[in-house]
Amino acid sequence: MPGLISPAERDYILKGIECNIRADGRQRPDYREVILETGVVSQTSGSARVRIAGGSDVLVSVKAEIGSPSASQQFEGRGADDLNNELTQMMSRFLHHTKTTFTTPSSSSSQGSAGAGASTTAGSSSSTGGINLSKLCIIPGQQCWILYIDALVLDYGGNLMDAILMGTRAAIFDTQIPKTEVQDLGDGQFEFEVLDDAEDTDIVEGREDMPICVTLNKVGARHIVDASPLEELCTEAKLVVAVNRSGELCGLQKGNDGGIEPSLLLEMIQFGKTMGQTLIKQLDLKIKEEADSDLAKRQRGEPIQKLGFFAQ
Amino acid sequence: MNITFHAPAARTRATTGSHKQSKQYAVDQDMEVDGEQDGDAEGTAFKDPTLHVVTPGEVITADTAFMRGHGTYILDEKVHASVAGVVDRVNKLLSVRPLHTRYTGEIGDVVVGRITEVAQKRWKVDVSARQDAILMLSSVNLPGGVQRRKQESDELQMRNFFMEGDLVVAEVQAFFGDGAYSLHTRSLKYGKLRNGSFISVSPALVQRCKSHFHSLPCGVDVILGLNGYIWVSAHVPQNLDEIDTELVYSNKNKEDITPNDRESIARVASCIRALAQEFIFINDTIISFAYEASLQYKLREMTKKEIMQAVAAEAVQSVNNMKG
Repeated sequence: MPGLISPAERDYILKGIECNIRADGRQRPDYREVILETGVVSQTSGSARVRIAGGSDVLVSVKAEIGSPSASQQFEGRGADDLNNELTQMMSRFLHHTKTTFTTPSSSSSQGSAGAGASTTAGSSSSTGGINLSKLCIIPGQQCWILYIDALVLDYGGNLMDAILMGTRAAIFDTQIPKTEVQDLGDGQFEFEVLDDAEDTDIVEGREDMPICVTLNKVGARHIVDASPLEELCTEAKLVVAVNRSGELCGLQKGNDGGIEPSLLLEMIQFGKTMGQTLIKQLDLKIKEEADSDLAKRQRGEPIQKLGFFAQ
Repeated sequence: MNITFHAPAARTRATTGSHKQSKQYAVDQDMEVDGEQDGDAEGTAFKDPTLHVVTPGEVITADTAFMRGHGTYILDEKVHASVAGVVDRVNKLLSVRPLHTRYTGEIGDVVVGRITEVAQKRWKVDVSARQDAILMLSSVNLPGGVQRRKQESDELQMRNFFMEGDLVVAEVQAFFGDGAYSLHTRSLKYGKLRNGSFISVSPALVQRCKSHFHSLPCGVDVILGLNGYIWVSAHVPQNLDEIDTELVYSNKNKEDITPNDRESIARVASCIRALAQEFIFINDTIISFAYEASLQYKLREMTKKEIMQAVAAEAVQSVNNMKG
């Protein structure tokens, strides 16, 4: 039902934010609870479902496929309504250094560029954060792993961007890439074999440096995080701040029609950065906790049961 | 700064006392069920053997002895489910109770709705039903309580009464031929909503009762729309004689909503969400109990799931104690 709000509601929400009591009782810098599960789609290399209590529900998957590297980013966008475009552009900008592009809900790719040219890309990405692409290379210049990242929005309850990026980070952490064995046949000819040992796989190198984002909504003279749908309707200007774990700014996007004063802008960016770092820390703890318990179960030989869509 | 991450919890059937359904949903063992019954032991942790869950198009039974009830249809002499839900059987009558339902109204129901469109002599109102309800210009009061026929001049200033997005409380007056509801606001109880916040719950959780307008002891007014839309607002003295009829269509909130009022409103709203989350029927008594139970927690923690569960459980307990 999002889209309509009455003037009285808007006024109530505005004044509530002014005196730090939001309509659902939270204070301005409070996030709602996030429910996270990884490894929910068995057909993928890595997946995660992120739900923000009370609404937003996002399923993110990572699929590793073998393909040939190209110099330019491969881009295959389907569905082209406004939301998709907005998200696509925003996410490709944030994750530019990881050479990962997104479309929602369709897919796109992250290429492990190979060969001599790769070192510069890899060099720049290692300094700014993001996935180490040279590790995705199988045969330099010929074959590499392509990571397709799909995000499917299942439900909307405000603050989708944050949920999608949290899900992406979790899904990348969950991703297992099969090991490959390359044989040199001489005269520049190579052959490779994908080992199908489920136990012995590679992780995505540089996954710790994947950025996440914090969406700040400017309402009145204040700004809030994790806005509910009605709060999003009251938002004058929206600032999406993408940060990595070391607190480096990876991207910035302003949305909506309203303006932000320079002093407030700086304050918001700073706030977004610290908020983002805390968020990553908490998220990583949760991801690690789940990975550890899965590992322990695997070692004990117990089946790992994912709740997936049976979850409440 | 405040954020927590959780692992999902498995779905459990609500066993909360007073609202526990005594009815059995057990599917007769003799009944021939065509649905896939996968017997893998691993999946049983999520399955409740007393529930027969179906999805639309699924064959419930091929046995022709059964009659077709709500939520089902017959194709090739087999009973299929037309909605996702649980199979309910009364003797030979098969019906499916949907998991998610829309509001089905009756004349006299109090509903809360949002204006979606201003049309010729009418407003379209979203009441979470299958189609938008209609509020005719002839079914509203004029500002100042003037009694006269609506003229063209009134038609031209319809947006001054209700605008797109406005929330209204109204009563279902009649049905149109196509099943749409016709609403009216011809009472000072009804009209535009101000001074509070809006919550939407499942329409199944609000039951018909004597009054849907409540003033809680904590100084908060609640309007429980039968369509699952609930309005929680600051208390306004309801002396019908003293209401300024000129201000019926005003968009201005009252000036003196204190932070304390806001906290109470947010707390009541959180309590209602907590009850809805646990699938507990919502009425003024249980809201008051939930409010009291919630006072031991900080307001900003009320969005946490475990606290919501605790509040709901305690409220149910209080209701049971009261009943003895």
